[in-house]
Amino acid sequence: MALDMGFEQTGGGDGTTVITLTGELDASNFTELIEAGRRLHADGTRRIVLDLAGLSFLASSGLVALHSLIRILRGEAPPDPEEGWGAIHSLEFDVSGGGAQDEVVLVAPQAAVDRVLERTGLKRLFRVHADRSAALADA
Amino acid sequence: MPTPDRPAFAGIDRLPALIAPFAAFGPDIAVAIEDADGRLIAGIASSRAARVSVPIGPESAPLGRVVVRGPGGAAGAPGVESAARVLAAALAALAEAEGVDAQAVEERTRIEAELALGRRLQRSFVPLVAPDVSGWALASHYEAAREVGGDFFDAFAPRDRRSELAIVMADVTGKGIAAALLMAFARPLIHAAIDHARRPAVALERTNRILVEERRAALFITALCCYVDTRSGSFVVANAGHEPPLIIRVGDIAPEEVVVAGPLLGAFPTIALDESHGVLEPGDTLVLYTDGVTDARAADGIRFGDERFRGVLGDAANAGATARELVDAVVGAVRAFIDDEPAADDLTIVVARRLPPRPRVRRLGARSASRR
Repeated sequence: MALDMGFEQTGGGDGTTVITLTGELDASNFTELIEAGRRLHADGTRRIVLDLAGLSFLASSGLVALHSLIRILRGEAPPDPEEGWGAIHSLEFDVSGGGAQDEVVLVAPQAAVDRVLERTGLKRLFRVHADRSAALADA
Repeated sequence: MPTPDRPAFAGIDRLPALIAPFAAFGPDIAVAIEDADGRLIAGIASSRAARVSVPIGPESAPLGRVVVRGPGGAAGAPGVESAARVLAAALAALAEAEGVDAQAVEERTRIEAELALGRRLQRSFVPLVAPDVSGWALASHYEAAREVGGDFFDAFAPRDRRSELAIVMADVTGKGIAAALLMAFARPLIHAAIDHARRPAVALERTNRILVEERRAALFITALCCYVDTRSGSFVVANAGHEPPLIIRVGDIAPEEVVVAGPLLGAFPTIALDESHGVLEPGDTLVLYTDGVTDARAADGIRFGDERFRGVLGDAANAGATARELVDAVVGAVRAFIDDEPAADDLTIVVARRLPPRPRVRRLGARSASRR
């Protein structure tokens, strides 16, 4: 149930932040990740490397958080997922070419997490790297 | 007078002593303690105009207000406002001293109300009557989590295709009222799409397009859509990001997974879904479920998981369970596994079994003339 989030700014001042997720990302905590994304964006973060090596479980609610992070980094204010009806969802992904976006890259998802990304089709939004240094090099 | 069934502030029980000083301003003065939304918490209601209204706690985020009503002469007297301020300060101090955060109380009340509404909404969308399909047995279980999720299912004969059975199983990501509302929006949408689409993939693709164009959702929906020809047992299933269905074959120990996958609904402007085809032979059972089953977790953090789920299904089927008993076996196993803790997620399962032909009853002395 618990989710730990670690934050690390990379030295280059290029607006990249590494978020290390440890534990489980689910309906009980996915809004915390969205909130963290908002704060980071306000403080200048424009790109997030999401280190998932310690994440053992990703619920479908967690997918909403990943999706929201991309939009936050693009400067779009994603709707509050708890706001419901009035929430507006603009979908700006260029997925016709099957391209991944640049704002959020993933590192080392465990098999269980990878399966969820795969099953829901959201994996195609992300570039996935085996380790953190490869992700950081992928600017 | 204090109304003890609606506690909002600690110290409210001391109110009579606190409002006593107001009597000095006249007999017709009504002092009311209202919450932040203007609802009477304690004190005296009056239809007269409010003469004085002061916040309890900070003006920017008051815990509530002290409102004095009465005839202008008495309630508008110079000392009334300062007496009201003293009362408000006292109530704020008491609330703080006793650690009662009225906003927390209110938040909790709001959440409870939302939960109740969400559950009611959700329940109202669970099919009341399973369609009666000759030669088939349908059974389902739906159980809302405390903080309701957005599971829903449906089973019906599509318009103009009465020998077909459409079964939908879906799960709105996220929780609470937002998920329940999206479910309420999506369910009839999928039903209508199925009525107008000969292929389940097309039904889900159209649903996706409408969800995206309407921009209703901050959330996504995973959905399975299955068309069954009730006469031949052949089926077609499309999957938008959902757990694939399982089939329990007569005589097989382990349920098999129908291999079919695709992106979930509401995330991409256009999706193209694959379909998987198969046949349910007499006695075979199709099982659709949401991750509330497999992700149910015990107090020690272990999840129920695919393996246990399939084991329960296989064991029950081998023991000759009916469709209903199959569902009950799963629900019972999940409950026992989570030790009757409140489920964190909705728990939904639907099974459809193609019944074996009814054995001919041969009465004693009956001749075999009925054989063809």
